[in-house]
Amino acid sequence: MFLSYSFRLAMQSIWREKWINLLSVLTIAAGLLIITLALFSIYNINLATKKLPEKFSIMLYLKDGLSDQDIGNITAALMKDNAVEKVKYIPKDEAIKELRGVIKDADYILEGLNENPLPASIELKLKQKYFDPSTVKRLASDIKRIKGVDEVEFGEQFLTSIHSIKTGVQTLGILLIAILSAGIIFVCYSTVKILFYRKKEEIETLKLLGATRGFIRAPFVIEGGLLGGAGGFFGMVGALAFYYGLFNRLTLTMPLFKGVVFPFEMFIFLPLVGLFLGITGAIIALGRIRF
Amino acid sequence: MIHFYNVSKFYENQTAIRNITFSVEKGEMAFITGKSGAGKSTLLKLIYVAEKPDEGKISIAGWETDKLKESSIPFLRRNIGIVFQDFRLLDNKNVFDNVALTLRIRGVDENEVKTRVFDALKMVTLRHKTGSFPKTLSGGEQQMVVIARAIVGEPTILLADEPTGNLDPDTAAGIIRVFKEINAKGITILIATHNRELFRNTGRRVIRLDTGNFVGEEAG
Repeated sequence: MFLSYSFRLAMQSIWREKWINLLSVLTIAAGLLIITLALFSIYNINLATKKLPEKFSIMLYLKDGLSDQDIGNITAALMKDNAVEKVKYIPKDEAIKELRGVIKDADYILEGLNENPLPASIELKLKQKYFDPSTVKRLASDIKRIKGVDEVEFGEQFLTSIHSIKTGVQTLGILLIAILSAGIIFVCYSTVKILFYRKKEEIETLKLLGATRGFIRAPFVIEGGLLGGAGGFFGMVGALAFYYGLFNRLTLTMPLFKGVVFPFEMFIFLPLVGLFLGITGAIIALGRIRF
Repeated sequence: MIHFYNVSKFYENQTAIRNITFSVEKGEMAFITGKSGAGKSTLLKLIYVAEKPDEGKISIAGWETDKLKESSIPFLRRNIGIVFQDFRLLDNKNVFDNVALTLRIRGVDENEVKTRVFDALKMVTLRHKTGSFPKTLSGGEQQMVVIARAIVGEPTILLADEPTGNLDPDTAAGIIRVFKEINAKGITILIATHNRELFRNTGRRVIRLDTGNFVGEEAG
C-alpha cells in the first residue's frame, strides 16, 4: 500500500518534471555507455594478455658437450621453480631441422657447414599467474646461474610493453569507471535535490501530518532508482547499437577485430548498475530529514 | 490531554512564551486568545512539536515531548489534527487526495481511505467538491477541506490556528459549528484566535495571552 502509493507519486513526479528527468536519464545513459566501452576494452586486453603465456617462452641455450645426466639435472632444477609450467628439451639435431624448415627458400645459408652451428636448447613455458616481467627477469637470472646454461633469451622489451599496456589500460579503465560512477551518482543526487527543494513546502506539510522519514523519502528514492535504471537501460541499448552497428561490421572487414569478444552477460546488468547508482544518489541527496 | 508545566520559549533574546502552566482536559474545547505576537501560534507549535520548549515540560496525550525521540514525532502528530492558518493544502492535488493524504501517510487501505474521506467531507459539507483543486475553492471552502483533512485521521486532539482569519462572519460561524460537532464526538479542541466574536457566548474556556505571558482565563 505504502510502496504502491510512493511508486505512484514517483511516476507522477517523473512525468511532471519530464524534461529535467529526460536530461538526467540521457546523461546517465551516456556515462554508463562510456563505462561499458571501458569495460569492453579492459575485458579484451585481459583476454589477450591471458593468451600470451601460451605463446611466450624462455629459451635456454646449453653449452656443447653436456651429458644426458647434465641435461637431466638442468631440467630437474628448472621444474623446481613454481613459475615453470613445462620444459621441452630441443637437441642440436632437432634445432637444425626446425631451422631448415623455417628457411626453406634460403637454405644456402646452411650449405657447406661441416658441423651443426646451433646449440641444444630448452624451451620453458610459464604458468599463467606468474606471467609478469619481474618473475620472468628473476627466473632468467636464476637460470643463468645453472651450470651448463650458456645463454638465456626472452622478449624482455615485448614482455614489458605488453605488461605496461595491460596495467595502464586497467588503471585508466578503473579510474574512468570510478569517475563516471561518481558522476552518475552526482547527476541523480542533483536531480533528486532539485525535486526535493521544489517540493519543500509539500514535504513540510507531510511532516506536520505525521509522515515518517520513510514515507517522505520513498518517492524520491524510487524516482532516483527509476532514473538510474532507465539510464542503464538506454546505456545498454547504446552498447548493443555500438556492437551491431559498428563493431560487428568492423569484424567482417578487418580481421584484426575477429578475436575481440563482446561480453553480453556483463552488459545486461547495466540497468541494475544504473538502478543502484540512482538509489545511492537519491539517498545521499535526501540526507537526514529533521522534524 | 494537553499539559504545560512552566513552559518558556525564546527566539534570539525575544520571549515568545514565558513560564506558562495550563491544561486542556480530554474532550474539552478551549480557546487561546491574545493580540498578534501574544504567543498563540508558538504555543500550538509546541504542542505539535514543530518547536521545542527552552524551559519547562509538555505532555500531549500521554507523550512527554522532552523525552520524545525525533523518529517518534510523526507518531505523536498522528494523534493531532491541525488546522493551519495558511491552509497548507497541496495545490497539485484535488480535494479528495488532499484529505486522503492523512490516511495514506498512515498506510490505511485504499478502500477504507475512500469511505473515511467521504465521511469527513460529508461533515464539512464538501462532498460535491471532491474533484476540485484548492485554487478553485473559496477561502471558506479551503478551510473546510483543511478541517476534513485534520479530522479524517480520527485524532484525539484538534488544533486550529486562526481558523477564521480571512473569512466572513457567516463562514466563520459555520466553521465554529463544525468544531462543536467534532468536539461532541469527544475530540479535544484548542483554537487560537484573536477574534473575540468567535468565542463570545460559547461558554467555553478562554486562555488569555499577552506578549508571551499567561494573563488569565475566562468563560467565552
